[in-house]
Amino acid sequence: MTTNHKDVGILYLVTAIYFLIVGGMLALLFRFQLTDPTLNFLNAQKFNQAVTMHGLIMVLFVISPLGFALANYVVPLQIGARDLAFPRLNALSYWLYLFGGILSIISFFQDSTIDAGWTLYAPLTTSQFSPYVGVNTGGLGLALLIASVTASTFNFVVTIFRSRAQGLTINKLPMFTFSILLTVLMMLYAFPSLLAGVVILVSDRLLGTVYFTSPEGGALLWDHIFWFFGHPEVYIVLFPGIGAIAEVIQASTKRHIYGRTAVMIAMVIVAVLSFLVWGHHMFNTGISQDVRRVFTITTIAISIPFDAIILSFIYSLVKARIQISTPFLFALGSIMVFIVGGITGVFLGSNALDYILRGTYFVVAHFHYTMVGGGLLGLLAGIYYWYPKMTGRRFDERLGRAHFVVSMIGYNLLYFPLFIAWETPRRVPIYQTDLLFWHQLATMGGLIFGLSFLIMFWNLLWSLRNGPPAGNNPWGAFTLEWATESPPPPHNFPGIPTFADGKLSFISTNGAAHHHHETHLSPYPFAVSLGSFLALAGLTVHPLLLPVGLVILAISVVGWGRERFVSHEDSIGERWPFEKVDRVKLGWWTFIASEIALFGILISSYLYVRSASSSWPAPGTMLDVWHGAVNTFVLLTSSLTVVLALASARADKRGLTTGFLGGTIALGLLFLFNKYNEWSELLHHGVTFGSSLPASTFFLTTGVHGAHVTAGLLALAYLVSRSIKGFYGKENWEAIEYFGYYWHFVDIVWVFLFPLFYLI
Amino acid sequence: MVSTSAEAVYGLFNLFLTLGTIVGIVVGTYLLYNLFRYRTREDKPVEGEVSLGELPPRQGFPAKLMISLFLSSVVVLSLIIGTFSTLEYLESPPRDAFEIRVTAFQWGWEFAYPNGLVVLGEGRIPANRPVKFIVTSRDVFHKFGILELGIGIDAIPGKINYYWTEVRVPNIYEIRCFELCGTGHGVMLGKLVVMEPSEFDRWYGSQGGGAK
Ligand code: HEM
Ligand SMILES: [Cu+2]
Ligand SMILES: [Cu+2]
Repeated sequence: MTTNHKDVGILYLVTAIYFLIVGGMLALLFRFQLTDPTLNFLNAQKFNQAVTMHGLIMVLFVISPLGFALANYVVPLQIGARDLAFPRLNALSYWLYLFGGILSIISFFQDSTIDAGWTLYAPLTTSQFSPYVGVNTGGLGLALLIASVTASTFNFVVTIFRSRAQGLTINKLPMFTFSILLTVLMMLYAFPSLLAGVVILVSDRLLGTVYFTSPEGGALLWDHIFWFFGHPEVYIVLFPGIGAIAEVIQASTKRHIYGRTAVMIAMVIVAVLSFLVWGHHMFNTGISQDVRRVFTITTIAISIPFDAIILSFIYSLVKARIQISTPFLFALGSIMVFIVGGITGVFLGSNALDYILRGTYFVVAHFHYTMVGGGLLGLLAGIYYWYPKMTGRRFDERLGRAHFVVSMIGYNLLYFPLFIAWETPRRVPIYQTDLLFWHQLATMGGLIFGLSFLIMFWNLLWSLRNGPPAGNNPWGAFTLEWATESPPPPHNFPGIPTFADGKLSFISTNGAAHHHHETHLSPYPFAVSLGSFLALAGLTVHPLLLPVGLVILAISVVGWGRERFVSHEDSIGERWPFEKVDRVKLGWWTFIASEIALFGILISSYLYVRSASSSWPAPGTMLDVWHGAVNTFVLLTSSLTVVLALASARADKRGLTTGFLGGTIALGLLFLFNKYNEWSELLHHGVTFGSSLPASTFFLTTGVHGAHVTAGLLALAYLVSRSIKGFYGKENWEAIEYFGYYWHFVDIVWVFLFPLFYLI
Repeated sequence: MVSTSAEAVYGLFNLFLTLGTIVGIVVGTYLLYNLFRYRTREDKPVEGEVSLGELPPRQGFPAKLMISLFLSSVVVLSLIIGTFSTLEYLESPPRDAFEIRVTAFQWGWEFAYPNGLVVLGEGRIPANRPVKFIVTSRDVFHKFGILELGIGIDAIPGKINYYWTEVRVPNIYEIRCFELCGTGHGVMLGKLVVMEPSEFDRWYGSQGGGAK
């Protein structure tokens, strides 16, 4: 199955559109219920499920993947790369996304899917208040999606840092690629927080830990974890659209956008600030007033860099030769409605106003004006814009404009009345009767907005065969993707693109240097995803699936490792600041950065519930310090053996390499054995997962760490099996080095866990 | 305005709405103006257009942008100041406020009075006297909201939150839940009956302590 970035991009596009239809249908279902509160079309439970899954699907399975459909296709082309840094990993991202979506949809057909809102507020989502199996299934679907996103994150970070054409420095990156770079950097730190939240929630539900069911510690824990992810997430869905809009404006005015550097700086500021505003979703929760003042300032302040972005887009039009086209209309429409969304965001950023606005349709209207307006409409502009590049055909311009007009009418008819009817509480099938008219208007708008997409689908499908040929550069744009054929050939460019002397040229590769063939096919990404999917479905759908899934997973992981998959980095390119770091190493570093974030959130959660609890067992009373101390010693020693294994390999001492790797395995097993003893003693004394917060936090945090040790041991077993055959030596030791990073990281985490849990 | 909190909150809301509308109209009009002014079917390139494969040059200082940002900072700063002074007022209940405990549960509201009286679904308070609501929840998150009175605060298990107001107009006001709390969320309604002070005193006096 394909691993080429362009094919994967198209797969993403088609799948995201499929989920768009699913999410849209759900919206029409509950909008229909809202035309008449006395109607019993959807009962409260069905209504809540529809609203919840609509939100989760649209945010996580539609808008973000649409952005990544374009990113997959366009980013390598824009920077002059032949593919993403890790093509198989990219295919894996896609399949995990698809299977994550399928698992979430399956949950509908169980007793009840998630029905607590896309924000998944605990304790409503704990098993006490949502005792449904479908909630677990949906949660596991999210876990697959998070895995998918995480893999994409490293892939794009490494690609954009390592595969740029010569001369394409970071500050000269095309706007779309730059926005994707910031998107993945935000994802790198936001998604581990969601992962930590889902892990804790699923653990509460399946293993009986009590993080969210102990009001004393956990009352606001979910809010903090979720919104630390959730706020960056809304910019994560927005940025690809902003990037597409910038490209479309540039192509339509034949100029670089006004204040390009200022816009880039503003985007960086937004990306950084996005991690410092989450408290504005918690203004009503009674956190301290000083904290809320800070969040009010950061939130309202974030509108300044947004101003910079939007105003620069508008200033770009001044004195330009504007050529109007479908993508340009969507870009402009998107900006117009986004202005409304941004301004109303400032209302919500005011703590005082939020006392009344939170939980009302004002919020609903605000975020649809931003997410659908800025995000989705921006991406539609992008889809129209790059369609000729992807297909080699032009779409029908008149149908495109018709789509624009109809969708803008539908859009505003759908969302503007929600501002007028703002007093309606969110997520209710029954509301104040005097607001009836506005809701009926909104439903009508929703129908029009939904139907308007049919024009686009028809247009894009029809033009696949019947559209006039597009040529290389139908918009007269100036970024690199337009310098090759439409659609581009498998290796993208006729040679290696370079900007070394300030202007694009191609280094010819007629020689042999380029023609050791690259691989574009691998069955393993699909098989790994299928295995994971079946294994997880085994937990909540049918137990037989679990062993089947695990077997497929094991076989395909080994197959992946053994497959000979060729993909090269060009010898020349712009790599600042990572000239000295090869791409696999950079990939590992990025992966470890996300792991640090995961443990950071888990440890912060522990400290948070601990500081909120009125009492906590003194050191040495619940846990035996000796177990921890011994394990610290064991694990640190194992770091040493890994270092020695690497040194031996580099000195070409193959026997010794195997010996030290084997020693590391022995130490790792000793660690787990000791841990097993410790846990069974605890359980024997009645200290269980659910007996108290101190016990829950201990078991879960060290359990996740133990799972990391176990994964490391599996990798070690693989290394040893190859080392026995004399595989690692002077010219082949990188795998041990990469493994070493991971193993040292796992050890360092323990160095934090030991004092935090045993000594204080 | 029917209450002190409504006056404070909706006054601030109107400030935001006024400034927001002005900014929105100015920016939107400017955008449309430029669009119509500079759109063209002309195919002849004009000066300064970029050709395929050209990298962005060093641009001049975006003075126009910086001036606009300065102006928006002024707007934003005034909004922050307005917010802080309103917040200060909303969060400083007078010492002598009449205290009433509101407990949310799936799906309803319970009111507990200083004298031990507990009632379900329908709270009574005196008009023209500051009243402090002490809000919590027995199960999941809820939000205690009476939009007409400018009241809204989360009801959270294990946490106690406050809000105060002084209602000027005796009437029956509708309480709604503004945080999804399960299947009964939409019908989690309650009433706040605001009575003439003398009438309230008579009613309150007649309800002996500990009545449950
Ligand atoms: C000037 C910029 C913005 C500001 C100041 C702002 C402010 C806020 C605030 C304070 C809230 C919390 C409201 C509440 O729950 O009471 C909120 C909610 C929300 N915002 Fe924004 N926002 C801005 C831009 C955006 C953008 C660009 C997006 C997405 C593309 C977005 C998406 C959302 C979403 C999804 C929610 C609702 C979350 C939920 O379900 O509760 N906002 N915004
Ligand atoms: Cu936010
Ligand atoms: Cu409620």
